[in-house]
Amino acid sequence: MSLNRSAEPISEDAALANGYLADTSRSDPRVSPAVLTTELRKEFRTTTALGGLSMTVGRGEVFGFLGPNGAGKTTAVKLLLGLVRPSGGEAMVLGAPAGDRETRRRIGYLPELFRFQSWLTAFEVLMLHCRLIQLPRVRALSAIDEVLETVGLAERRGDKVGTFSKGMQQRLGLAVALVGDPDLVILDEPTSALDPVGRHDVRGIIRRVRDRGATVFLNTHLLEEAEHVCDRVCVIDRGRSIATGALVDLLGRSSSVRLKVAGLSDDDLAVVAKFGDVARDGEWLTVARIQADEIPALVAAVVSAGGRIGAVIPEQQTLEERFLELLGKS
Amino acid sequence: MNPVVTIALLTLREAVRRRLVAACVAITIGLVALSAWGFDRLSHNASITSGEVGVAIPQALILFMFMFSFVVALSASAMASPAISAEAESGVLLSILARPVRRSEVLLGKWLGLAAVILAYSAVVSGLEVGVVDWVGGFVPPNPVFVALYLFAEGAILLTLTLLLSTRLSAIATGVVAIALFGAAWLAGVVGSLGTAFKISSLTTIGDVARYILPTDGLWRGAIYYLEPQSFVVQRLTNSPDSGNPFFAQAPPTWTYLVWVGVWFLAVLAAGIVSFDRREL
Repeated sequence: MSLNRSAEPISEDAALANGYLADTSRSDPRVSPAVLTTELRKEFRTTTALGGLSMTVGRGEVFGFLGPNGAGKTTAVKLLLGLVRPSGGEAMVLGAPAGDRETRRRIGYLPELFRFQSWLTAFEVLMLHCRLIQLPRVRALSAIDEVLETVGLAERRGDKVGTFSKGMQQRLGLAVALVGDPDLVILDEPTSALDPVGRHDVRGIIRRVRDRGATVFLNTHLLEEAEHVCDRVCVIDRGRSIATGALVDLLGRSSSVRLKVAGLSDDDLAVVAKFGDVARDGEWLTVARIQADEIPALVAAVVSAGGRIGAVIPEQQTLEERFLELLGKS
Repeated sequence: MNPVVTIALLTLREAVRRRLVAACVAITIGLVALSAWGFDRLSHNASITSGEVGVAIPQALILFMFMFSFVVALSASAMASPAISAEAESGVLLSILARPVRRSEVLLGKWLGLAAVILAYSAVVSGLEVGVVDWVGGFVPPNPVFVALYLFAEGAILLTLTLLLSTRLSAIATGVVAIALFGAAWLAGVVGSLGTAFKISSLTTIGDVARYILPTDGLWRGAIYYLEPQSFVVQRLTNSPDSGNPFFAQAPPTWTYLVWVGVWFLAVLAAGIVSFDRREL
């Protein structure tokens, strides 16, 4: 899948082109996209929180929604859930308009600002949500047991939420988002209050959710988290998508390479410069912003210019570097 | 289970778990015991004639019930003021409203749960106080059930207004505004009584208009009427028909007024639903 660096509207046709069939059968996982937004906008009086977001999230993928603070990530999530009204554009979630009441039964949501009734026990919070999604009691009881086990709170099921640490409350929030096996799980900064062990656990949980065929929409500014679990990502800045694509494409398109070269004068560097930004440190040349598939051609160019190559060390760009590059801060 | 019932039960559970019910029960038992002692002193005082006791006890009962009506109003305001705003600000509502539940169902559920608390409190406090007066002073108001119902209606009206305010204002601002409006409505009723006593039509109009704008005082006067023995009403109307006593009601609220209260309630509740529906979280 190629990298889409533009903020072009993604139409239903574009979604179809991406392999998401317009079959409304729920038994087929390749139905309409889990999320499809077209020029989605949100303005709060004089502030533009979202300036025209277009993206497609396929069924069964872990989709990372990345951006700096204030980029409009949480606003976008709230728009998808119908918690705020759009100023323009369109958003479809699980094939229905964003905020559709029946569709919300199939969505699990962990808000960034998570807070639960401190006077309820963990079990009671989950039972409340089971009732709100009309889950039959017998199924609710087994679903609650399952999610409490998943998030590691089985032994605290009878304790009041008010006695929980912030991290435990976030685990409970994750359990609330997962209860009832929703088709789409929207997690807004799900590890913000967790320690490294908790973060590791959450990654495992996200993978398991994907393995059972659900879609995970992961809103995060923790790039390492996205790098570990996401199949595709969308990077937004100032309310607009600035890059969308598979993680491997996003990172693979641009990288750097270090070459140990002898016999190459400064005048000969011109042949190297066309591949990327060149920096020389004695025998070592660093070529940044080079496309990964152009490295063999670079080596050939150096050799043909009379250089003798001692080593070629490709350096994969990290998501953080790519992220900063996209934001123009590299 | 219907989402309205789910939210109502959740609200009731909150009132119990947060010890609001326990606090109300404790303070009510203390106040009722204090009133029992007062009624006992009044009924067994050698310097007061039985005729004077017959007048003083209903008046004292009205004063005590006024205090309880204030507790009802304060409780309604305190419980309802954070119901929407604080939960919206803290994020509690986010996970609930992301479920297949309408905002109107959340608001109606909260109203129902809080109204149940107020109804229970009004019934218990009216029953206790009337029972104490009967036991100690041998006086039974003409219609204790109507007293409880008017007390509840007064609380329910303030509850509805507070919920509307809570959809837009912060919890603290909602509480302050609701109590201030309740106090202003009561004071306007007193001003109206004074206008009637001194035949100042503008003051009388203020009282009348205020009872339509916020019907809490009008409903409180309904409770007063059903606390007064009929002989006492006749005597007051005969001797001093325009006395301007804010703790005296010469007639129950008219049907027209009660219909207006119903319209007021539905309009404010609908305004609360619309306001909450339009609020961005």
